[in-house]
Amino acid sequence: MMSRPEYPPELRRKNVKLALWVLVIVILMFITAVPFWVGLFELATGLR
Amino acid sequence: MTTATHAHADHEHHGPPSGLKRWLFSTNHKDIGTMYLVFALIMLFLGGASAMVIRAELFMPGLQLVQPDLYNNLVTNHALIMIFGAVMPAAAGLANWMIPLMIGAPDMALPRMNNLSFWILPAAALMLILSFIVPFFPGGGTQINTGWTLYPPLSLQVGMSMDFLIFAIHLLGVSSVLASINIIVTIFNMRAPGLRMIQLPIFVWAWLVTAFLLILVVPVLAAGVTMLLFDRHFGTSFFIAAGGGDPVLFQHLFWFFGHPEVYILILPSLGVLASILPTFSRKPLFGHHSLIGAMIAIAALGMIVWAHHQYTVGMSLAAVQYFMIMTILISIPVGLIIFNYMMTMWRGAMTFETPMLFAIAIILMFSFGGLTGVMLAVVPADMQYHDSMFVVAHFHYVLLPGAVWGLFAGVFYWLPKWTGHMYDEKLAKTFFWLHVVSFNITFFPQHFIGLAGMPRRIVDYNVMFTEFNMISSVGAFFFGISHLLFLYIIIKAVRGGEKAKARSWENAQGLEWEVESPPPHHTWTTPPTIKTA
Repeated sequence: MMSRPEYPPELRRKNVKLALWVLVIVILMFITAVPFWVGLFELATGLR
Repeated sequence: MTTATHAHADHEHHGPPSGLKRWLFSTNHKDIGTMYLVFALIMLFLGGASAMVIRAELFMPGLQLVQPDLYNNLVTNHALIMIFGAVMPAAAGLANWMIPLMIGAPDMALPRMNNLSFWILPAAALMLILSFIVPFFPGGGTQINTGWTLYPPLSLQVGMSMDFLIFAIHLLGVSSVLASINIIVTIFNMRAPGLRMIQLPIFVWAWLVTAFLLILVVPVLAAGVTMLLFDRHFGTSFFIAAGGGDPVLFQHLFWFFGHPEVYILILPSLGVLASILPTFSRKPLFGHHSLIGAMIAIAALGMIVWAHHQYTVGMSLAAVQYFMIMTILISIPVGLIIFNYMMTMWRGAMTFETPMLFAIAIILMFSFGGLTGVMLAVVPADMQYHDSMFVVAHFHYVLLPGAVWGLFAGVFYWLPKWTGHMYDEKLAKTFFWLHVVSFNITFFPQHFIGLAGMPRRIVDYNVMFTEFNMISSVGAFFFGISHLLFLYIIIKAVRGGEKAKARSWENAQGLEWEVESPPPHHTWTTPPTIKTA
């Protein structure tokens, strides 16, 4: 078993919570890539 | 604002585990940082080998060494390997090593995810190498000859290699995103008690901004290449005009990632300079707060200028005007950073060890690249420069001094801390001069052949460009050799050398200089007490 610092449970919860919120941003950017950028692209180019 | 610190000596209870398990299952930020750096060094040589073949082919007009499709594949791979395999992992390696030390944290916030972030990279590298090898076998299809930008429709027609590459990009993206999440959470949650955000070193702020950029734009690249995959295999028409789609949509998706990507490559290196310049100028960093603001401004502006890579595709006048003005505006916060760094040196008691030599070279040469960038930003001028060797010269002047040399400077600066040995200063200075002079011989002529009309990404060129191409290739040959010297210096320092003190450089400031050189396997298990002067 690798030795590593054992963080107190409240710190671990705090870290995981913030990580999950950041992950939400990542997922949102992935999902919105298609419709959002298609829309912005159409606005920028004046096509369709 | 200066931060005086009072450090507690840390003693680990046991040493690191031994053997392969130490590395395969490591959750230690120092070991993972080392692995990132070693991986990046290997990829630097792989990407460099591609460049050597490119420059050998371009030494004279005509086809000498490689067929056109293989040449274009080498051009593609050179960029992909250097960007995703060398610079980004090396910057992540510096982040892993230094951020916990600089903020008084025992390790990264999510150590096991840190391990995953690294170990995805060899798998991604394998996919990338497979994408190169597959076309040599029957049924493998054509090589990836699109350039690193992977534009459809060409990328839709390439053989199976493209699918390996898309998978490699997905893996690289996951690695970067997970590492960024870790860095953000570490910086917000794991600082030593009493260490306020505004007191953090600029290197830490640079990585915080970089991490936010990564989480915002890497998913868009992932979406774009996923759409490529779907167009290739699942009957969609995102980028196929005949099906109602548009290839230019891919360009927007790619460059929405691609432009912030260049700031992702550059910001950590500029952050390294903020550690190096005060040390060797023996003066405090000038404008700590404004540097933070400038980096945030660069990131914010960098997200809304992407289409300056696409001036020639046929966008409306209003669109190109907007992108031109916003692009030119980015030079203001970048200029602030450069001026602050110059003011840091101004009237300082300077010494010129290798990290400082690189820092000064960066300030000068990155500024050259920035100047040509402003030239390229001007739409009517770009109509001539676009897709010419002028662009190649520009981005090598911003990426090599801006990103790579910052990493070299950081390696030389922190190598005594990591290894406990001073590197050979004489050899390092030799490396610096050989490297910087040959860099200029390689890339400066490319400005002129670009302006004279030589396109980029071509295997053969008009005979009128021969002389400058020869000069460039000779420079590239010596440039390549200089990296062997770099490798030798690193290995020599790892194996031995003059013992390095905890504060390896006379005027070095920061929490990382409070721990021993090399630091114990676990540091800051008891957090430091932060006092502010």
